[in-house]
Amino acid sequence: MKASTQLRSKLASAGMLIAPGAYDAISARLIEQAGFPAVYMTGSGTSASLGYPDYGLVTLTEMVDNAAILARAVKVPVISDADTGYGNELNVIRTVREFEGRGIAGIHIEDQITPKRCGHLDNKELEPLERYLNKIRAAVDARTDPDFLIIARTDARASLGLDEAIDRVNAALQAGADMAFVEAPQTLEEISTVPRRVRGPCLLNVVQGGKTPPVGLDEAERMGYKLAILPGTLLRAAVHVFDDVLAQIKAERRAPEQLNRTTPHQTFRRFGADEWDALRARYATDSAPTFDPVAAARSAAR
Amino acid sequence: MNRPTTRLREALRGPRLLQVPGVIDAIGARLVAEAGFDAIYMTGAGTTASRLGWPDVGLLTMTEMADNAQRIAEASGLPLIADADTGYGGPLNVQRTIRCYERAGVAGLHIEDQSWPKRCGHLDGKTLIPQAEMAAHIRAACDARTDADLVIIARTDAIAVEGFERAIERAQCYEDAGADVIFVEAPRDLDQLARIPKSLRVPALYNMASSGKTPFLQAEKIRELGYALAIYPNYMLLAAIPAMRGVLQELKETGTVEGMLGRIASFRDLFDLMGMPQVRELESRYGVSESAKARY
Repeated sequence: MKASTQLRSKLASAGMLIAPGAYDAISARLIEQAGFPAVYMTGSGTSASLGYPDYGLVTLTEMVDNAAILARAVKVPVISDADTGYGNELNVIRTVREFEGRGIAGIHIEDQITPKRCGHLDNKELEPLERYLNKIRAAVDARTDPDFLIIARTDARASLGLDEAIDRVNAALQAGADMAFVEAPQTLEEISTVPRRVRGPCLLNVVQGGKTPPVGLDEAERMGYKLAILPGTLLRAAVHVFDDVLAQIKAERRAPEQLNRTTPHQTFRRFGADEWDALRARYATDSAPTFDPVAAARSAAR
Repeated sequence: MNRPTTRLREALRGPRLLQVPGVIDAIGARLVAEAGFDAIYMTGAGTTASRLGWPDVGLLTMTEMADNAQRIAEASGLPLIADADTGYGGPLNVQRTIRCYERAGVAGLHIEDQSWPKRCGHLDGKTLIPQAEMAAHIRAACDARTDADLVIIARTDAIAVEGFERAIERAQCYEDAGADVIFVEAPRDLDQLARIPKSLRVPALYNMASSGKTPFLQAEKIRELGYALAIYPNYMLLAAIPAMRGVLQELKETGTVEGMLGRIASFRDLFDLMGMPQVRELESRYGVSESAKARY
């Protein structure tokens, strides 16, 4: 089944989907293996993995290339950040075609001007509503797969207030968007207001330490959200672990003991070794014997 | 040999007009080098056409342009002047553009004062960013280069939007901001063309576009007017289009390629152009056996 169709059918069942954020194939695989129904590709994390802050420096090409890597690595649908659609209506059309063509299940497009900035930073500038709606219409028209999910994001809460933000996403849903994403509501009351007043399915962006207060995912589901994304959680966790391990190497001047319990092959198995070993066995010939990584590791150790 | 950036700076100081043909890919790059030009230009309109099959209305990304530039710089070995559109956003985007283009081996690039998404300078309906903003982009570009010889060309699209006098004001402001070369897009007549270099201290670029908005002048005449260089963005691409059409039509009509063989490049011609002699030389140097060497 196409990723987009898979996502639609998951969204059609009762309850809320949780899509933790991935920024590379490793994080995407781990999300799938942990049993989550979808993977979210974070633009912020993608920028970081390229060595940039989330300041609108990364191009559509780089985003789409990364999304393609994620989609190739997992069987669950990938939903991607598509920032502003990278320009006007024509750029949005290209954006939809590029993401759709790489097997992404859906994207969100926001009403900041290009170049944008992270939704939880200050001084965001917005497109006029009519221009934004034209971009949403262009996105809807551009998809060739009717199941490709177009999520309308508004950053209007910060400068224009919650009412205007809700009006904007309602207008975007009217213009054909499939889901609404009000970025950075500022209180629990606001978080719960969004699904009540928006006339369509809603996405909740869980950004820890951002403008939105912490909310439990069960509570978000009870409020009526259909999809929760946690864009930065894994990246931040990785940063902590990397820092700790690096400090440990520096202090102890040896590889961390606690990691000796995992063999390289165990790690390979998290990234598809079994699948590839089966392929290797299927195409093995007498002159090219099957490589057995476990045996090879043993003989190397001797 | 000097760095391409340094070679471009030297070529700009030469006594004759620096004629810079535009290409869209490595094939064109090889042809320009073969023909003995001293520099090469990468056209954004042509690159968009080649990579997307769409017109030049700001659809290509910076990374796609830089990637294409890298291939052209590499294949030509010539100093490459690359179209960098608006620099693709604000001052931070401009700085990233400079770094990526520098790493791609570009010797010079032009950045313009249109709003993003931009469009071809010879189309109507252009809009501009404020002059002060563009001056900041030029300063950001100059600060971002790590090679002091990288040639930063400021382009203004103001003639069509704000008129000729304002275009000159903008050009002078960008010159003050640190631009090495000024490119006033789409002047309409000889009078305008003559006034541009006279209004500037830095070298001026003549865009010999095919739209017909800028007069089609001889190299000596362009030099006489005071220009240091002229780019010829799309002529190779435009020449290829009828040739390719002719081949397709003939194939459809006659069902054979036989009749066109005298008019098209030979198999050997293509491989030689792409550097077969160098490949054979490398094979000899690294001991590839006679039987395994690439041969015609």
